Amino acid sequence: MAESTTRRAAIVGGNRIPFARSGTAYAQASNQDMLTATLDGLVARFGLQGESVGEVVAGAVLKHARDFNLTREAVLGSKLAPTTPAYDVQQACGTGLEAAVLVANKIALGQIEAGIAGGVDTTSDAPLAVGDDLRRTLISLNSAKTVQDRLRALARIRPGMLAPEIPRNAEPRTGLAMGDHAAITAAEWGIGREEQDELAARSHQRMAAAYDRGFFDDLVTPFLGLARDNNLRPDSSVEKLAKLQPVFGTGEGATMTAGNSTPLTDGASAVLLASDEWARAKGLPVLAHLVDAQTAAVDYVHGGEGLLMAPVYAVPVLLARNGLTLQDFDFYEIHEAFASTVLATMKAWEDEAFCKGKLGLDAPLGAIDRARLNVNGSSLAAGHPFAATGGRIVASLAKMLHEAGPGKRGLISICAAGGQGVVAILES
Amino acid sequence: MADWYTTFANSGLGTTITKQLGLPRPAELRRHEPGQPLLPGPVVVGSAGAGRLRDTVTAVLRDAGVTVQSPVTADGATDGEKPAAVVLDATGLTGPGDLAGAHDFLAPAIKRLRASGRVLVLADPPAEATSPAQAAARQAVDGLVRSIGKELLDGSTANALFVPEGAEASLAGPLRFFLSGRSAYVDGQLLTVTAADVPENPDEVAPLAGKVAVVTGAARGIGAAIAQVLARDGAHVVAVDVPAAGDKLAEVANGIGGTALQLDITAADAPQRLVEHLRERHGGVDVVVHNAGITRDKLLVNMDATRWNTVMAVNLQAQLDITQALLDADGLLRDGARVVCVSSQSGIAGNRGQTNYAASKAGVIGMVRAWAPGFAARGATINAVAPGFIVTEMTATMPFGTREIGSRINSLQQGGLPVDVAETIAWLSQPAAAGVNGQTVRVCGQSMLGA
Amino acid sequence: MAGTSAGRTVLEQPPNMAALFAKAALTARGRGGELPATRLARTGVTVDPAELAGYARVCRFPLADTLPATYPHVLAFPLQLALMSDRAFPLALPGLVHVRNRIDVLRPIGTTEALDLEVRAERFARHRSGATVDLCASVRSAGAEVWRSRSTYLARGATAPEGAPESDVTVAVGDLDRAVATWRVPDDAGRRYAKVSGDVNPIHLSGLTAKAFGFKRAIAHGMWVKARVLAALENRLPDAFAVDAAFRKPLFLPSTVTLSTAPAEGGWDAAVRNARSGTEHLVATIRPH
Repeated sequence: MAESTTRRAAIVGGNRIPFARSGTAYAQASNQDMLTATLDGLVARFGLQGESVGEVVAGAVLKHARDFNLTREAVLGSKLAPTTPAYDVQQACGTGLEAAVLVANKIALGQIEAGIAGGVDTTSDAPLAVGDDLRRTLISLNSAKTVQDRLRALARIRPGMLAPEIPRNAEPRTGLAMGDHAAITAAEWGIGREEQDELAARSHQRMAAAYDRGFFDDLVTPFLGLARDNNLRPDSSVEKLAKLQPVFGTGEGATMTAGNSTPLTDGASAVLLASDEWARAKGLPVLAHLVDAQTAAVDYVHGGEGLLMAPVYAVPVLLARNGLTLQDFDFYEIHEAFASTVLATMKAWEDEAFCKGKLGLDAPLGAIDRARLNVNGSSLAAGHPFAATGGRIVASLAKMLHEAGPGKRGLISICAAGGQGVVAILES
Repeated sequence: MADWYTTFANSGLGTTITKQLGLPRPAELRRHEPGQPLLPGPVVVGSAGAGRLRDTVTAVLRDAGVTVQSPVTADGATDGEKPAAVVLDATGLTGPGDLAGAHDFLAPAIKRLRASGRVLVLADPPAEATSPAQAAARQAVDGLVRSIGKELLDGSTANALFVPEGAEASLAGPLRFFLSGRSAYVDGQLLTVTAADVPENPDEVAPLAGKVAVVTGAARGIGAAIAQVLARDGAHVVAVDVPAAGDKLAEVANGIGGTALQLDITAADAPQRLVEHLRERHGGVDVVVHNAGITRDKLLVNMDATRWNTVMAVNLQAQLDITQALLDADGLLRDGARVVCVSSQSGIAGNRGQTNYAASKAGVIGMVRAWAPGFAARGATINAVAPGFIVTEMTATMPFGTREIGSRINSLQQGGLPVDVAETIAWLSQPAAAGVNGQTVRVCGQSMLGA
Repeated sequence: MAGTSAGRTVLEQPPNMAALFAKAALTARGRGGELPATRLARTGVTVDPAELAGYARVCRFPLADTLPATYPHVLAFPLQLALMSDRAFPLALPGLVHVRNRIDVLRPIGTTEALDLEVRAERFARHRSGATVDLCASVRSAGAEVWRSRSTYLARGATAPEGAPESDVTVAVGDLDRAVATWRVPDDAGRRYAKVSGDVNPIHLSGLTAKAFGFKRAIAHGMWVKARVLAALENRLPDAFAVDAAFRKPLFLPSTVTLSTAPAEGGWDAAVRNARSGTEHLVATIRPH
């Protein structure tokens, strides 16, 4: 992409609803409700009522079967023109950023002039499934042609089948919760409790300050009575966080608490991308351009790599393709799935043996300036509705770059379930 | 849309009951509907004094497709249909004796006025009189019009326009407004027009077509109505409100094809952010409506500094700061720009428990008066609109008694609607209102408070 | 209906396993002597897709066009059972413990292939706590052997004949420090596997029936554990390989266990252990052919 003749997609702006801890403000809201409200907020911000943008791409990690066409349904319920096409994507926590990359690529290729990328997730309205046995029995009941067949199918139902299956936040192949995986990585990289708590406290403080100075005024639209992320603790401090009991890891390695891990969260986000010409014709701003993106995956199952370490592998590829070093950025947005993930990511880039042995580099990528890291807070403060995090970060970073002036560069790094990572470069 | 009492009093049973009990019988007001004619019937135009505006008035009315009738004679002889409006050209009065002509014309004409009729008196400004007798005659119009307003029944209104010599061209816009349904709740008002660059053939259907309008406090109530009416009249509306009201704001913006801008107007960088937004997204702005306002009521002796300061900051200081920033931003305020500032009846009459609010709203009146000459110099105008008792979500929460008294103590015997305020603001925003500058228009149904 | 020639009996139908278990229990007493030279066989056996799907679900294999490495065992098991429940078999079936299973996959087997199965018993061997016997199965397709297995069963307290060799039940694996997966094994795991495999040995079915045979709780089928290990490595296995598993301590139901894997000699070493106590239930080596 860096050398090609294709155009770069512009990030015009974004919108999200405040993120809410699971079972709180949005307990009654569905993915479709939240995504529709988010699209409507975006429409209002940019005057897109009745407009047909090239494409709306979004997704959710936790989805009901009825949500098979979630994004299109949300579009039909929104103020966008009903003639706006849409499709769903899902790359776990990478969904939002991947959606933005997909839209940007189509814009870059000239296939569309503008598009909206988004993501939504609810853990409050998560799909409950009936057990496998009951499901199969009900399906055979439904397809039974004679009364006798039906009775036979019904007779197979046992009381034990009636217990619903609640989706678990665990990797299917390892049976471990994401936090358990992160705890293993944290122990491997010797990430201490205190540095995790410091990172978490800083995230809260920085995001609270950003809210106070109005940074989110044109990035967030209230929903269902919530005007700010309700996970945000402006008075968070290392001292307070130090009092929490570990929830992941065992023994000495048990450093991860509810305070330095993201909680289950509900929310949605959307980003408006376009060609420069489209934005200009509409009188809309160009906050930044999406320069390039890279995904990577690691073998966390049998290969011995940490579940959330894929971005560590994706970034050097992206840097090399764009002729950049890790230090060539004004802002770094490393998704705070867990404080330990951010710290392990940076430690790996600084580690000579790892960079040479695992990443195949001649020298370590080196340290990054912590003052440029997640400067307006990140997921530990806002919360992390899986698919919505990418859109939150893209819109926020684009605005930061715009405020900093032309020629500024930002790096996004998002880890995802399944041992995947999505990273991208934005430039103002 | 009308309040419950108006609906009731105009129902079959309600009519009987209110009549027998001698209760007020508020009329259903004639309000503007897009596409409807300026007036539902003919206008009677008469003069007292020399009457230099008669031809102008007749031309405007004919253009609007309104039939102009000759004056009704004292014996009640007419030339047809009952008039929907009565216009008296009282320019050229030389002394009180000339006012007899006013009486001769108005008495029989008003007697035949339809419901929701209009009485409009045109006169020379008293301040420019060259003799005490002339000044007396001109000032007499004031008392005449206010009293007519109080005598009129069935939703009719009386207003006056002072038209100095040389400002004849500015008359058309205000004339149309006061005769139309847009001025339904404007009653007992006396405005002075000035000479200004007035467009030749204003767009009556979409008078704000192609204009960019900013409305603060647009998420609900009067602000939302202003945004809706400006959009109806063709403007692209940038709806502004605090971030916490962003969801309502987005609904308003989406309902009118406008854009939502979440902004706390009291923030230090708010004027700059608004300027940047307008420059980036629209290159400039044509209409600015300072509507955002808050109340923090308390008797003065019990009022803490926070209540005082926050009300002042939102209701007055923000209007000053933003207006100044717009004036300072090179080329941002487009030629013929309109700034309309929402004041309040409390700012004119005062209100118990509202020292902070009333002070801020009175301040607005002073502000527009002071800024008017500067605005005129750049072909722009700045005016204030002072709503009286307007039925909103806010008033719905008032105690029943307070609310009912508040809504009845005016000549129209009912509360106004947000749309009434919005219509007046939309009119002041039109190019055709170029001759109205530095004025405060009350939208109060001729409230007895502060009148 | 069965045809017999030179000690080889070909069964037309798969034997009824519940009946075999019952028969074996009733005739458990008074057994002894040498291993019979009997070979039991079935020819032209085809896989029932629905049964295969059920098996794949329970063991977490993907349903594919080739059979899971452990599936031919399910096809051959009824023959093994028939052999062991026969009065001529020297060891009593109740109380026999599956201690080792080696499978050689010579090539992937298509789900629609007609298979010829044959089982025999061999290697009556001495073990420090009794005697072991190997049940060997061979699967041929179009005349060529495609799969074979050796299941070693231990009879505690039994005595091998004079001059019997030493039993070999050890499978050696390297260091397996890293747990790669955690499995919650529910209390109905035995019943579920019994349903799809036909192995209705009472020690797997419920606490009550297990107690009758001296176990404190029901225990998971060793072959189910082994199948799950292979399923976890499903797409990382060569086409032809040997998987050799030793079943160590019983896996009581319900339990939470961990799977540890490590690459070794072009294949894998694996262990399944109790998540809390570390008790080792299974170790296995997987080596390419």
